[in-house]
Amino acid sequence: MLKTETITINMGPQHPSTHGVFRMVLTLNGETIVDLKPMFGYLHRGLEKTSEGRTYLQAVPFTDRLDYICSMSNNFAYAVAVEKLAGIEVPIRAEYIRVIMAELTRLVNHMLAIGFLFNDLGAWYTPVVYAFRERERILDLFEMASGSRMMCNYIRPGGVSGDLPAEFLPLLRKMIPHLENFVREIRDYLSDNEIFKARAVGVGFLPADMAMAYSITGPVLRASGVKYDVRKAEPYSIYNQFEFDVPTQVAGDVYARYLQRLDEMDESLKILRQAVERIPDGEYATKVPSRLRPPKGEAYARIESPKGELGFYLVSDGSPNPYRWRNRPPSLINLSALREMCLGHKVADVVTILGSIDITLADVDR
Amino acid sequence: MQVLDDLWIRIAQWLRGVFDSFLPPWAAQLVMDVLGILLLIVWGIVVVLAFTYMERKVIARVGDRIGPNRAGPLGIFQAFADAIKMLTKEDVTPTNADRALFLAAPIVIIIPAVLLYAVLPFGRGMVGVDLSIAVVFVVAMGGIPILTMLMAGWASNNKYALLGGFRTVAQLISYEVPMVVALLTVVLLAGTMSTVGIVEAQATFPFALVTPVAFVVYMLAGLAELNRTPFDLLEADSEIVAGYFIEYSGMKFAMFFLAEYINLFMVAGMITTLFLAGWQWPILPSWLWFLIKVIVVIFLMMWIRSTIPRFRIDQMLGFAWKALVPLALVNLFVVALVAKLLEPGWARTGVLFVSNLALLAAVGFIMARQSRKREEQARAAGEAAIRRYYGSPIR
Amino acid sequence: MYGKGIAKGLWVTLKHLWGTYAKDIKKFPRRYAPGGIAKRPDYDLYGIFTLQYPEERYTMFPRFRGALMHLRNPETGEPNCTACGACERACPHGVISVEGEGKGKDRKVTAYRYDLGRCIFCRLCVESCNFNAIEMSHEYELARYKKDFILQLDDLLKIGDKYGIHKTGEAWGVTE
Repeated sequence: MLKTETITINMGPQHPSTHGVFRMVLTLNGETIVDLKPMFGYLHRGLEKTSEGRTYLQAVPFTDRLDYICSMSNNFAYAVAVEKLAGIEVPIRAEYIRVIMAELTRLVNHMLAIGFLFNDLGAWYTPVVYAFRERERILDLFEMASGSRMMCNYIRPGGVSGDLPAEFLPLLRKMIPHLENFVREIRDYLSDNEIFKARAVGVGFLPADMAMAYSITGPVLRASGVKYDVRKAEPYSIYNQFEFDVPTQVAGDVYARYLQRLDEMDESLKILRQAVERIPDGEYATKVPSRLRPPKGEAYARIESPKGELGFYLVSDGSPNPYRWRNRPPSLINLSALREMCLGHKVADVVTILGSIDITLADVDR
Repeated sequence: MQVLDDLWIRIAQWLRGVFDSFLPPWAAQLVMDVLGILLLIVWGIVVVLAFTYMERKVIARVGDRIGPNRAGPLGIFQAFADAIKMLTKEDVTPTNADRALFLAAPIVIIIPAVLLYAVLPFGRGMVGVDLSIAVVFVVAMGGIPILTMLMAGWASNNKYALLGGFRTVAQLISYEVPMVVALLTVVLLAGTMSTVGIVEAQATFPFALVTPVAFVVYMLAGLAELNRTPFDLLEADSEIVAGYFIEYSGMKFAMFFLAEYINLFMVAGMITTLFLAGWQWPILPSWLWFLIKVIVVIFLMMWIRSTIPRFRIDQMLGFAWKALVPLALVNLFVVALVAKLLEPGWARTGVLFVSNLALLAAVGFIMARQSRKREEQARAAGEAAIRRYYGSPIR
Repeated sequence: MYGKGIAKGLWVTLKHLWGTYAKDIKKFPRRYAPGGIAKRPDYDLYGIFTLQYPEERYTMFPRFRGALMHLRNPETGEPNCTACGACERACPHGVISVEGEGKGKDRKVTAYRYDLGRCIFCRLCVESCNFNAIEMSHEYELARYKKDFILQLDDLLKIGDKYGIHKTGEAWGVTE
């Protein structure tokens, strides 16, 4: 009788498709995966410990570098947590500005996710370039408002760091129909592609009950059919004043996650339209002392970042430095189901599944 | 126009006259043959330079950006810059690698690629050697690179390269079969195996109109033989980072690269010869028509490369054995039947065209139904899981 | 029908390919933007999108955060900085170090060291300054051949003279 042996392959930290320095030790039987062990920590920079030595305001640039693609969302989560801890009120115009920035960040992140999913699948850089072209326009808006394209440092505890410049809103109003055109073009180009469907349908199936057991959140959870969104479940900021749906998909595979991200982009555009119409005048921030001394206590605040539920847990002991500064990384917790999703598939599918979970290593390793 | 058409033939005859004046006839013939061989080899290298540049420009323009535009005006010296770069790279042989095989693989892969240029008809009366079994020669020479790729994968002492080598052999052997069957269809219609004869048999209708199925099958099988997207799993940057030539650097890597583009021109040339009536169209000189058609076919291949993602290995092999081979065989049967019953002319062409389109539509519907079934299965599994979580059938 | 999705995708890509050539023909024969300053691209899906650096550059938006610069008093020409040390305390990374002499209203800065290699361009130092002394410039071409990243007061004043801004936060609509 023939006997087969399993071989162990290392998809090592230096690999073109693992979205950063991420290492997976695969045990293969032929081409089928028998075991998978993820190893991370190559990008650990000690952000939590460093932030405990800084004041609450000085830690805001560090939150930018947690998940460097959606930096405004990280700032937002941190600001909400500090406001909950110290009991600061935020003026209404600042809330509208924050919602606009958060939804623009969601668009930016999903464009990048879809583009790089197709880069891993083999379409030679064309979907990436199309997605990045639209992303550049949104990054121009970020630069106009905050001064920097990626590390925005814009949403602070108490409001935002500066009012919107005069050209921002007219430009955004002109851009929204163009972005809707773009989402339609991507649907035309990619959604019906038979090769993509052959690679993505039925691959990386995550059942709904397993997703809840692993505490997965974000588009991955909603693509498996569970209708859970922090913006509806525990509304923060002024999200309860906007009308939007929470789309879900049924199948829970890679194709469903791709469709989920496209649907979420449409919902974000809906929210943007409403926010741009209704934004009032007013103050852009309440005055917060630069060496803020919140009362003793703890607070946990969470928001719906484009990758999942991003939360900050802050413990204060009355001094200007936080006693404990911890964030709940959505990418790390979404990775915990990687082994279950990959068993029984081929080597070529691991890259597809990893691309569809959409992680950023800086968020996994902090 | 006749003058322009015979341009290269007249130059060759004038050269022959020059050599005849001071050499005995056998020496003159020898010199002419050697010059012809040198010309074909140089043509291979020119082809590589031109088409690497064209590929980068086409893929760039599809992505809304300009391609290479710094090395020379409009970037035409980019290929020279790449060649100089590859010459100056360090030549690394991994430890414990099989040295003889490691050195031999890139050399052996170039030889059949250039040999094949001998049977391409570049124009009316311009062919290297008019073999009467040219088609068999093409198939035989096209099978040698498969062996060299396995040699390359085995000789580098690397698990990734070995995986790449295995996949290469599986893919290339699987796609030889539909290619050969499509070739047989054309040979049946033309009545001869020589490339010059096949081109002359397409004087009224190009064979792409007569048997579109064979055209599509040969095109797809040719893409697979060349390792181009959507069949380029062997050079998949995203999984096994460059497959069987992962350990090669410097000039040896350049040899693999050259072989790929020389093969590209060869396959495009074969498609033009077999299906698009070679050099056969009026008004322009024949060698110009050949070049234009080859460039159109290559543009089609580059356009496909820049747009479509790639298959997985088992899907690729399934596509070859379960879709292309039955399609090609049924088509061969139909063509043989119709060719026996009807005389060459409008009636035969019309019947074959219609029946081929019907075959393509049938295969298309069957495959669409299969993919829809797979989608239904995924949906059912998802719904079962949702029902388990929520405890009710409605989500 | 099996090939329909692929055909749709190929058509989209062909439109982009043709669109780049059509836009080039419209702009012919001008290849680079006149004067070297390019506008940010317009809102349409087709056309070449990339910037031909270094022949073309974008102008940055007014709030762009580049390297730090010092501002002068427009009448006297002296730097505004009073060496209070607020920026040194506000920086998360310890990039700035300041020395001064004098007391009260006559306090003046004598040495100001700014480490360009460690700065993260977060602008917290500018926000903490009460004396209109520093601002972020639009310098982003900061690569050097030697490791001379530590800028002194004179280099920073030179960058400031290039930009001609007199008040911190001019671009942000804040005047202090």
